[in-house]
Amino acid sequence: MAKERGRRVNVVKSSRGSQRNFLLGLGAIALAGIIFLSFKAWEGKNAAAATIDAPVATPAEAKPYVLGKPDAPVLVTEFADFECPGCSQFATVTEPDVRKRLVDEGKIRYQFVDFPLEMHFNTIPASNAAACADDQGKFWEMHDALFNGQPDWNGQATRKPKDKFKEYAKATGMNVDQWEKCFDAQTHMTRVMGNHAMALKQGIQQTPSFIIGNRKVIGAISYDKFKSYVDSAAVDALAKPVVAPSDGEKRIPLDSAKKRSPGT
Amino acid sequence: MSARRAIALLSLVGLFVALYLTLYHVGVIGQLSCSVGSCETVQTSKYAVFLGVPVAELGLAAYIVLLAMSLMGTQPRWEASAALSRALAAFSGAGFLFSLWLTYLELFVISAICQWCVISAILMTLIFGASLVDVRRQMSDVRAGP
Repeated sequence: MAKERGRRVNVVKSSRGSQRNFLLGLGAIALAGIIFLSFKAWEGKNAAAATIDAPVATPAEAKPYVLGKPDAPVLVTEFADFECPGCSQFATVTEPDVRKRLVDEGKIRYQFVDFPLEMHFNTIPASNAAACADDQGKFWEMHDALFNGQPDWNGQATRKPKDKFKEYAKATGMNVDQWEKCFDAQTHMTRVMGNHAMALKQGIQQTPSFIIGNRKVIGAISYDKFKSYVDSAAVDALAKPVVAPSDGEKRIPLDSAKKRSPGT
Repeated sequence: MSARRAIALLSLVGLFVALYLTLYHVGVIGQLSCSVGSCETVQTSKYAVFLGVPVAELGLAAYIVLLAMSLMGTQPRWEASAALSRALAAFSGAGFLFSLWLTYLELFVISAICQWCVISAILMTLIFGASLVDVRRQMSDVRAGP
């Protein structure tokens, strides 16, 4: 009798013990999960942008699409793929503010470089459509139409995106026949591929990527984040002003100085 | 440790994995971007959304339900419930089949592997295995009688 009571007490004790271990296990997993998520969120917010030490030469065929004043203090280059959802998010959510508050205000000059990714079926035709729109000075209108309507023409929606692009050409007031001739002949593919080569040379691996001043930033960042990089690049530009030569003093470019022999 | 407790622990791990992918999908963690290879290709593919609902959110909901069911099953009132065992097995079985289909898509359609999706698929398989053990235990308990 006493033995059985003892056994029962032991069973209850071990059951309580295993219940405690189980709760401890749940608590440990919950704690580890919360720490992991907090760390990831912190890491995302504080990811430092890589600094580019030396400018990289641009391939001859590359010709980005430019917006803004040529004398704006900061140059921003966007590398994007028309079919990438992240690029579409940036173009529709952040870019309108960037254009209104930074480009129009003369704070930045903005250039767009095609970086069509292999995994997207219709991205090259989209770059082709935008390049042909540029012939009629409508690149940015086509750019906006492509990003706004991305789900209607992307690789999942269709394998023949031309009809949609033609609709956009018409809606943005282009000469559709001229645009279509250019699109069918793929007149500007060298430009598109040149831009792609420019992105590769800059070490771009994903889209959207930006070079803001001398910093490389990745992802569909918010306007506030974008603005903070622009501000920081503007400070850098002020810190290294281009010194105008003083009266009577003629500056000789380094290259030509090297070419001159000591005797001349 | 009972199979139900194991399911609860595994579901909680799965819950955090799915929560991480959900937060990534909505852009709270990391920046939404497209690149060749890895999780971003999978997360930005059309298969990341099933019937209008992001797959990561479906996973999150499934792990919450599994956690709730298994925790309920550890309570004295439900401990001997064979119906709960069968429900756990049916639910995790559906999750296992869905994970199997997603893994097939990753390997043969999207041609990119997302490590977090693989972890989730492994967890779902383990949960399904544990639920089968639980069903067997309940059946043998019924046979043995009180």
